[in-house]
Amino acid sequence: MIALEHITIELGGRTVLRDLSLGIGKGELVAICGPNGAGKSTLLRALAGLLPGTPARDPRRVGYLPQGARSAWGITVEQVAMLGRIPHRDSAAAPVHKALEQCGIAHLRTARVDRISGGEARRAMLARVFATEPDVFLLDEPTADLDPAAAHAIMSLLRRTAEAGATILVVLHALDLALRYAHRVLVLRDGRIAADLPAHDALPAAAAAFGLPFGIDPEPRLLPPASTE
Amino acid sequence: MKDSTQSRRARGAIILSLCLCVSALNLLPARAAERVVSLNLCTDQMLVLLAPEKVAALTPLARDPALSFVAREAARLPTVRASAEAVLRLQPDLVLAEPYGAQTTLALLREEGLRVLTVPEPRDFAAIRAETRELAAALGVSQRGNALIRAMDAELAALPHPRESRSALVWEPRGFTAGPGTLMDAVLRAAGLINASGGRRTGLEALLRHPPDLLVVSAAPEYPSLASEMLDHPAIADIPRRAIPPALMLCAGPFTADAAALLAR
Amino acid sequence: MKAALVAVLALFAASLLIGDGTFALPDGLILWQIRLPRALLAVLVGGGLGLSGAVLQGALRNPLADPGLLGITGTAGLGAVIAFYWGLAQHFAPALPAGGLLGAGVGAVLLLAFAGRAPSGPSLILAGVAVSAIAAALLALALTLAPNPFALAEITFWLMGGLADRSLLHVALAAPPILMGAAILLRLGPGLDALSLGEDTAASLGVPVARTLHLAAAGTALAVGAGAAVAGAIGFIGLVVPHLLRPWLGERPAALLPAAPLVGAALLLAADILVRIAPLVLPLSAAPPVGVLTALLGAPFVIIVARRAAP
Repeated sequence: MIALEHITIELGGRTVLRDLSLGIGKGELVAICGPNGAGKSTLLRALAGLLPGTPARDPRRVGYLPQGARSAWGITVEQVAMLGRIPHRDSAAAPVHKALEQCGIAHLRTARVDRISGGEARRAMLARVFATEPDVFLLDEPTADLDPAAAHAIMSLLRRTAEAGATILVVLHALDLALRYAHRVLVLRDGRIAADLPAHDALPAAAAAFGLPFGIDPEPRLLPPASTE
Repeated sequence: MKDSTQSRRARGAIILSLCLCVSALNLLPARAAERVVSLNLCTDQMLVLLAPEKVAALTPLARDPALSFVAREAARLPTVRASAEAVLRLQPDLVLAEPYGAQTTLALLREEGLRVLTVPEPRDFAAIRAETRELAAALGVSQRGNALIRAMDAELAALPHPRESRSALVWEPRGFTAGPGTLMDAVLRAAGLINASGGRRTGLEALLRHPPDLLVVSAAPEYPSLASEMLDHPAIADIPRRAIPPALMLCAGPFTADAAALLAR
Repeated sequence: MKAALVAVLALFAASLLIGDGTFALPDGLILWQIRLPRALLAVLVGGGLGLSGAVLQGALRNPLADPGLLGITGTAGLGAVIAFYWGLAQHFAPALPAGGLLGAGVGAVLLLAFAGRAPSGPSLILAGVAVSAIAAALLALALTLAPNPFALAEITFWLMGGLADRSLLHVALAAPPILMGAAILLRLGPGLDALSLGEDTAASLGVPVARTLHLAAAGTALAVGAGAAVAGAIGFIGLVVPHLLRPWLGERPAALLPAAPLVGAALLLAADILVRIAPLVLPLSAAPPVGVLTALLGAPFVIIVARRAAP
């Protein structure tokens, strides 16, 4: 469960978020969509407590994955995942192992993270969040760089994790993934929440936010789920 | 009242032959310099000792009591930095310098027709006497030059001759030593000491392995430097030492005998 | 790790035996008063440089970070020169390392001011080069203006370092700040590991990012400032040490911290031994400053690393 009340964020002279309030409960997988510059990444950072004026969060309970996260050093996938235990100040192997399995990169545990593909590295970063075993996941574009099979596998994992009791907020560009897997879709536009709807009702509002003519495809035709689900 | 033509002719002939003699024999000496600029600490000091009234300018170093034997007198005398333009403006008729340093400035001055006298740095007392005489002559004060030399020789002669011979090493920053043929070598010998240096650099360890009976160092306590720090190293604290003011070691002159006197005590 | 310890001890012993190029067994006075301070300083200064290099590279996420390249040893030297030649250290000996510490502190503050705004590699190094150049120029100016007319002749010591003719007093002056700095730096491991994923991630993991960076700067200033005050500016050890360790220990910043001071000490001991042997095999009139050797080793390193980093 995570919430923000009446948050206004200004960065570089520009008002990025305007008097924004939202709450997400346990067991919810919420997708945040919107055009570029709408403030999606800023919203996530505000929720994570990384911006001045936002409430601080317990790092053992909140896991945050920034957009385009990279490792500066050629450490192994396993070492990346182990960094997720820093808030707990332990080096428990079991959560790390489980996280690597869940994200589908256990077979690369000893590979250097700068020598694997972009998608594999992304999954290593995600495994780091899972290794913390947080109650709240704040993920910025976790499926970027992933091929459709892997993207669906990750979204499916996130859905299952939410249904097991976690609170998950995901910034997504891919509307099809949002509509298919999320419980709720938040459409962000110009720093405000333009729409907050159950996923199956969200397409018209999302399309409107993007300026797409409604009616292009009233029935979303989604790809079949990957066989690795 | 009759001026005989003969006596007039005789007068004229005498005057004419006198002039001829004088010009033939060049009896008129080169005019002694009246306005002198010195561009070097060592010639500064000689100039102040010999003819302070003829000083047009000295170098600023001459006023530094840590470096110059004549600092007090030089404080009242004008100074100039060694630039050709500044020197020319003073309109000197003689410029004193050493063979090294400020070469471009000296070349320019010579081109402008100034008389530049370079004196090589003396390395022993005989050379000090020769240099003093040469400079005194150029300045037209030969008597004063001879007086300085006599005083120096008297001081040297009065130095006690030690019964046992002691070895001494002149030790400079970075381990340089004064070997045979240097000025300090002459000073050591005048003080009755044996120079322990062969002319090579001597580090701290070598100094400890073959310590001299007396370590001669240059003293400049008001100016800290890495070099003087080395002299305070605890390892060599037990070697007897005598510190000589750098004013006496930097330049040679009649005052160099004072250095020998300091060591002979 | 063990290999590094053995290497340090072996080199330490060798340093005690070598002295000024003669291989005679030293007597007690030479051993204690001349060779021991020299070897101890090599261990302390080299260790401080190695450790601060490893921490700076982790904190700034930049494989070219080095207290010398980033101008910190330069500003330290400037502070030390001012304390020394204006007589402050004559009246109060600890003024010398204090000057070095203050100077290093200024350099670290400048560095952080740049790093906060432009964490990208090239701009950080450029900022460091600028600070380094300004520090060297001001150092030369300070020596020119110093009351001692011979000061400028000593500039090679301040710019290229030297361990010769140091005494146990210098060891006593430098050791406390260096050890304090090392104590601070050694505890930054977990923070540096978290920082390798970026400042946002590190903050979200509960790591106090600003405090970690400040402690890295303070620890570096302590570990490097006092060393530069008694041994001049010795460069490139902080740069090279982490790169030598990564093939063996992996690239995780925290993993490098325990071994970094040992390898730094070993490198400086080895360099100091080599400069003393050099006049025996080359036509040199005296031992070159030790910074010459570390620069000859380190400069090619910079080129290699920069090439690897460029796509």
